[in-house]
Amino acid sequence: MSVGHVARAFEEAGIPSVVIMSKVFKDRTAAMNPARILLTPHPMGRPLSAPFDVEKQREVLKAGLNLLETATDGGTVVEYDQPYRTGPFVDQPDRR
Amino acid sequence: MSTDNRNSANEEAAKETFDEFRSSFSYGSRTDLLFKFLKSGSEQLADDFLTEILDLTGDLIDNGDTAPIVEAIVRAQSEAYSGPGNFEYDSKPFAILDQPVSESKIALLTTTGHFAHGDDPKPFGMDGLTQEQVVKMTSEFGKADPVLSEIPTTTSVNETMVRHGGYDIRATAADRNVSLPIDRMNELADEGVIGEFVSPAYSFVGLASQLRLRKEIAPAWAAKAKAGGAQAAVLIPI
Repeated sequence: MSVGHVARAFEEAGIPSVVIMSKVFKDRTAAMNPARILLTPHPMGRPLSAPFDVEKQREVLKAGLNLLETATDGGTVVEYDQPYRTGPFVDQPDRR
Repeated sequence: MSTDNRNSANEEAAKETFDEFRSSFSYGSRTDLLFKFLKSGSEQLADDFLTEILDLTGDLIDNGDTAPIVEAIVRAQSEAYSGPGNFEYDSKPFAILDQPVSESKIALLTTTGHFAHGDDPKPFGMDGLTQEQVVKMTSEFGKADPVLSEIPTTTSVNETMVRHGGYDIRATAADRNVSLPIDRMNELADEGVIGEFVSPAYSFVGLASQLRLRKEIAPAWAAKAKAGGAQAAVLIPI
């Protein structure tokens, strides 16, 4: 819920904002009407990606940034529909 | 009552119910913050979820496909946390971006409890609290004012700390970019996708007094971000 209060305060101060979050908390966050929400199909605690999924992190961020330009009204909610991927990834440290 | 009957009665009393078992994952004897939703949802949801997870694990060891397990976790978490929370608003404050993202100074603020090494926000005046300690202090955090940490965008991975009693920090402790994408934002700025990544990035523990946050603290943070040059913001909760 904290992010909803912060998002509303930023908008009221004239700073456009986008919330990038797991869809797990969609109901309680959307009920607060932040201006723009990008929902990812990820477990709690992993809003952008699994660890070291650099490609996914970039994709999700770009989708959120795009929403800053394209949303035309408060309370805009968009679902990022590409699935969560598990590693290992190219940039993952060797855990042996 | 015979001795045998008394022993039987004691064993019966010591038996854990399923409700007690599922609740133990939420700040109990089996605390696991990824699965604390087992207490938040219904007993049937917990039953169905655990049955499904065991079934999918049987598939996993044969086909290596983790996707169905991830989907089951997200589905169960979504159901457990469904419905509005304590705050609902009808108004929809909306600020328009006055220039393209590629020309905008963009700030990053997260509710994830990150901070820079050597700049511990010292909740309740206590320096160096561990993750294990704050997990046991959630009721105190829920009543306290949140403290905003400023994390210079040049902060290295090794100098980035995270501590939050409300969620499973394993993923972001392994890679901060899971929820504090400093490295990715720096790259996007270097590539010209965003005009500038405003330093410092901000983070706080979202488990905090919501009334104080709404009335005074969040507006003060927004003013601070604006004074720091932010023309837009990416906000990331847990």
